[in-house]
Amino acid sequence: MNHEATYWITLANLPKWGPKKTIGLIIRFYHEQRLDIEEFFHLTESKWRDLFTLNDQDIEDLNTAKSELPNNAFLAESLLNEGYELIPVISPEYPKTLKENMKNSAPVALYLKGNKQILQERSVAIVGSRNASDIALQFTDNIARLASQEYRVVVSGFAKGVDKQALDSAIKYKGQSIIVLPQGIMTFHSGFKKYYKQIVDGDVLVLSTFHPKAPWKVELAMARNPIIYGLADEIFVAESGEKGGTWSGVIDGLRKNRRIYVRKPAEDEKNANHILIQKGAIPVDMNGQAAEPMELPKEQGQVITADEPIADYGSKVLDLLKNGEYQAKEIIHRLNLAVEEARLREFLIKHPDVQITKKKPLTFSLKQQELF
Amino acid sequence: MQISRQEAEIILKRTFKLDRFYDEQWLAIEKILAGERVLLIEKTGFGKSLCFQFPALIFPGITVIFSPLIALMRDQVAKLDALGIPARCINSEQEIFENDRIIDDAKAGRLKILYIAPERQENTGWIEATRQLNLSMVVVDEAHCISVWGHDFRPAFRRIINLVKMLPRHLPVLATTATATRKVEADIATQMGGNLTILRGNLMRENFRLFVIKVESEDDKMIWLGQNLNKLPGSGILYTGTRVNTEIYSRWFEFLNIPSIGYNAGLDPASRIAIERGLMNNKWKCVISTNALGMGIDKPDIRFIIHTQTPQSPVHYYQEIGRAGRDGQPAYIILFYNPRDRDLPEAFIEGGRPAIKKYEKVIEAIRNELLGERDLMRRTNLKQTQIRVITADLSEQKIIRQVTSGKSKKYEYITGAPKLNTRAFEELRELKRADLEQMIGYVETTISRMKYLCDFLGDTDQREFRNCDNTGLRKLDVISDPEWTGKLENYRENYFPELQVETKRSRLVNGVAASYYGVSNVGAAIHRCKYDNGGDFPDFLVGLTLKAYRKKFGQEKFDLILYVPPTKSGDLVKNFAETIARILKFPLSNGLKKARDTHEQKIYENSCLKADNVKDAFIFERPEMISGKKILLMDDIFDSGATIKEIGKYLTGLGAETIAPLVIARTVGGDVV
Repeated sequence: MNHEATYWITLANLPKWGPKKTIGLIIRFYHEQRLDIEEFFHLTESKWRDLFTLNDQDIEDLNTAKSELPNNAFLAESLLNEGYELIPVISPEYPKTLKENMKNSAPVALYLKGNKQILQERSVAIVGSRNASDIALQFTDNIARLASQEYRVVVSGFAKGVDKQALDSAIKYKGQSIIVLPQGIMTFHSGFKKYYKQIVDGDVLVLSTFHPKAPWKVELAMARNPIIYGLADEIFVAESGEKGGTWSGVIDGLRKNRRIYVRKPAEDEKNANHILIQKGAIPVDMNGQAAEPMELPKEQGQVITADEPIADYGSKVLDLLKNGEYQAKEIIHRLNLAVEEARLREFLIKHPDVQITKKKPLTFSLKQQELF
Repeated sequence: MQISRQEAEIILKRTFKLDRFYDEQWLAIEKILAGERVLLIEKTGFGKSLCFQFPALIFPGITVIFSPLIALMRDQVAKLDALGIPARCINSEQEIFENDRIIDDAKAGRLKILYIAPERQENTGWIEATRQLNLSMVVVDEAHCISVWGHDFRPAFRRIINLVKMLPRHLPVLATTATATRKVEADIATQMGGNLTILRGNLMRENFRLFVIKVESEDDKMIWLGQNLNKLPGSGILYTGTRVNTEIYSRWFEFLNIPSIGYNAGLDPASRIAIERGLMNNKWKCVISTNALGMGIDKPDIRFIIHTQTPQSPVHYYQEIGRAGRDGQPAYIILFYNPRDRDLPEAFIEGGRPAIKKYEKVIEAIRNELLGERDLMRRTNLKQTQIRVITADLSEQKIIRQVTSGKSKKYEYITGAPKLNTRAFEELRELKRADLEQMIGYVETTISRMKYLCDFLGDTDQREFRNCDNTGLRKLDVISDPEWTGKLENYRENYFPELQVETKRSRLVNGVAASYYGVSNVGAAIHRCKYDNGGDFPDFLVGLTLKAYRKKFGQEKFDLILYVPPTKSGDLVKNFAETIARILKFPLSNGLKKARDTHEQKIYENSCLKADNVKDAFIFERPEMISGKKILLMDDIFDSGATIKEIGKYLTGLGAETIAPLVIARTVGGDVV
């Protein structure tokens, strides 16, 4: 894939082409026409027009891009020489979570340095404001600790406050982290120096989706938020104001039906956490457990990952069902399971000890046990 | 780009003032104009440069030529300038503003041809500039430097080959070399990737006159040269194996009034340029050089190339003699061989590789910290040259990589790097041993020497050549002559190594040593006194030192003699300085003291640590005595010069007018003191 880096940098940075348009084109040439990117770039104009229904402006944009290939070759060489990697959206190394969460607005290319295996692990994003309260930082530390103990990767955005706490705590608890940069990856010298040992040891991965030489900008910091959300299986919000990056990120996430956990604020806290909860985010306590309005027995213990066979946590599910009737979704919440709803539902339907008590919504309970 | 040969030759006539292309040249040019990638292996003098200069002129944008040879770049730019073709060269020896101006010209499309050194690819300013170039072609000159199997592998070329891989496939690329064995050719082709056309010409040089002179000593070589150098036509180059020998031979010719000059990579750019120019203008009978000179000199009429030391392999040899007689007129190619000469290249091969535990030391250091070369020298106490070998090898094995951190270069450990592969070193060493045997084979061979070299280089041409002392030319040998033996003895007794310590920042002037440490009995005498309780330095050292003093400083008066305070060896230097002071009748002061404890310099392997060891370590008790004085600064051994330089800096601060060092012996790299 390396020799294609020049082409990917060029395609990812087509001016005025948003990711949607570019991704659409990639789907057509790569998946439909079975062309690699090099072949695509060297097609004739008429082929571009015929095969991909591109208009004059598109063709002009592509021609300009093509003329910039030699220049980008110098950039690509220097990028790779400095030990950065480029993962294009068609690569099997490109994280599935990101692709599934962002769909056709997923970044065309990821630039990264560090242990890229981390991209395939289950992950938790911890987000919050730059000047977060002590309690929010404490919450962040708790979530990072739990995540690290459970071998989940902590994704954060390298801003002050919550982001920084999330990263430092994950390192403190010997967990793994992804730093998502608000800038081009080749402009992060001080960070690479500071986290040198963690990167070398494979505990930290630095990732950026912007032009490798792009300096920090507010717009990039904003554009980075969806990437953080997109890279994570679960999102925890430590503290949010009523505007700003965290706020708009969460609102965006909720609109996309992401499950977002917000730290349940105390009555006197002056932040927007409670508004986010009203808008559909799930309130959690200081340990990230769903804070239910009713006092119900809580399941402690390990988070179960989707990779494990259901049989391994089936007994916990059955234990919970002893207490009453639940929907699959509620079970997942309460036990903090990382299993897909459909999969759990299927498990429950087939289980001989479980009965369906309601069809809409589908609700389960334990069958009455024979006493003798 | 479509253009017929006829049309091309009209342009050729108009711009290059040449009538036509050779068929082989046109073959390469045609492919390049069609946007193809070509590897061109042709001997020196074939006209390889035209194969890229001509297309560069035709293409709309700029052609970038990577070349490791600054002298050659300068030379070609001058020639293109004369033809009115806008060409420039960026290199580290020019002022930054000049390089910047050239880059601006390139970005603005005012240049057709830009020569740069491969190392420039590490410069962020250059990479930034490439974003705005309208690039039409890339040329890799001296492409054999890409291959570790070549005779001159250069790590900076790794980046160039990676760049070539990154270039879009419609961009023409030309790689050229005059010396590539079949193995190197295959390696270059693999590295450059698919769609490469290889054009290989024959390597025979009919105008060479090849001789080998077998001798029994260094004296024989010096005497033969003394007797015969002036009889050779025109001017040429004498290659000696080491820097010290460039100095010894150039002083010998100076002694004999043969106009000559020494050249090595350690000289400052201005001196190097002056020598290259002087060579072009036949200012001297010969330039005496390490292999740092020559490949890059585009002088058509170098009439002779003589080696006093056998090169490491026939490829090295072919490359070094390659520059002679480019005009097609006869050129004399002479190799001296004393069976002991194999020791130097052998030591280079066997000892050239640092021990494995040194590799491990470097890996461990870099694993823990992002380190620059100087940091590494401090952390590991290894010699700079060794650190360079080790870091190059580790980069090659993808264990570490060099990165830019802010403005400096650092080495970083690669996450998940493989273990050190020591077998790769062994294979390379085996190959070098075999190559050296082939070089000795050149000395011993009874067949045509030209054919012997061409065979080694993979040239399968079957023509007969009768241009060496095995095929009809007279054998050369050394005839002993008491008069010449006497001359040589006289020279030796009047030859004293210079101590080059002058800088703009201090009042130090170049000084003198009575001898090299290892070259005569001087080192042994010093060692006995210092470490085996041999008593004061013997009288012959006093005599020799005074002679060196007279030779260098004549009747110059000094106001004060100071000596370097010892770390361990007691009063030896003090007593020695007192004796010299008594004879020269200059006042002596014992006032130079250590301000703090230092260690013996010899435990430090590199100049960084040596400089750290003596930094701010000296104090003079009565500073008012120094102001405005001319000072003779004495010591026993001069090694890195760090101590003398530190004291020079300190005394300059106290207002000294001149500080001149005088020592008994100067070490040569590798001397064990």
